[in-house]
Amino acid sequence: MKALTAALLLLVAVAGPSVVLSRDPRRQLFALTAFGALLAALFEVLQAPDVALSELVVGTAVTPLLFAVALTSIALDRRRR
Amino acid sequence: MSPGLRSLLLLLALALLAPFAWHVAKALPQFGSPTAAYGATVNALGPPLRHVSNMVAAVNFDFRALDTLGEESMLFCAVTGAVVLLRGTRGEGTTQRAGLIPGRAVLARSDAQVLVCRIACTLTMLFGLYMVLHGTVTPGGGFQGGVIIASAVLLLYLAEGYGPWRRLIRSPLLDVLESLGVLLFVGAGAAPLLSGHAAMSNLMPLGHFRDLFSGGVMLVTNFAVGLAVAAGFVMLLLEFLEETRALQSDSLPDEAQR
Repeated sequence: MKALTAALLLLVAVAGPSVVLSRDPRRQLFALTAFGALLAALFEVLQAPDVALSELVVGTAVTPLLFAVALTSIALDRRRR
Repeated sequence: MSPGLRSLLLLLALALLAPFAWHVAKALPQFGSPTAAYGATVNALGPPLRHVSNMVAAVNFDFRALDTLGEESMLFCAVTGAVVLLRGTRGEGTTQRAGLIPGRAVLARSDAQVLVCRIACTLTMLFGLYMVLHGTVTPGGGFQGGVIIASAVLLLYLAEGYGPWRRLIRSPLLDVLESLGVLLFVGAGAAPLLSGHAAMSNLMPLGHFRDLFSGGVMLVTNFAVGLAVAAGFVMLLLEFLEETRALQSDSLPDEAQR
């Protein structure tokens, strides 16, 4: 196993639990984004560029945005009005 | 159930499952060197049979195109479901202003942010189009290109802000584009039936190896997926961002202060 693969696997192994263990939703959002970016890099190193491209966009742009919007929507608190 | 009992139950279940998991893990191929027979076969057959250099596209859009049609319909249904749910609770009305969270300061966008996002949006959009068009030649393809285009539209939101962005991105147009993509895929799959061939048969001219126009029907299905995915994802972003808009009844913030 190459050093780059090993380093990325290690980073993913650290980033995964950090998403689960961060308790503040906004911090969790950034942890999730970092996790997505690391996963994309790992896929690229493992010679899966197609999957890496999908993961890069879906994992670091679309999914965090949907969560950010959900948090904003909760903060706007429409139902009380 | 008390936390102690729950942990005990978890440990018990893990102990029970561990031997099976170990047994399966031992049978897995070595990490880093898995050359499956299917991959080798596709690599050997793809170029002579279909004249394409991206084997993932050959599998997705030709050899197993029916599976992709299923995935395509799945995405279509998921986006439709999300739109129906969100619009159902929110209503059809639109406002041009973003909502304000009470107590959070509204910071103006800096010129640098606007400029960088506009440039990045243009380049990302171009890259997405490139990715869709070169689906049969280089890694990537309809899905990847589609989501890249959607992320370019998101960059446009960062540059322009909610109001102007909302005026640029119209949901009826997205409806039409997404449906057109799915219809094109279904049409490309069903057209061979008319001439007595099996569904999804590749009857179009195959073109030249490593050429932009290679792969025959893959060009159509790849473009259809790109269209449907780009429009579908932008629709999803639009519907979610609509959730953050100001309510019709909200007063403007400076009016409220006066």
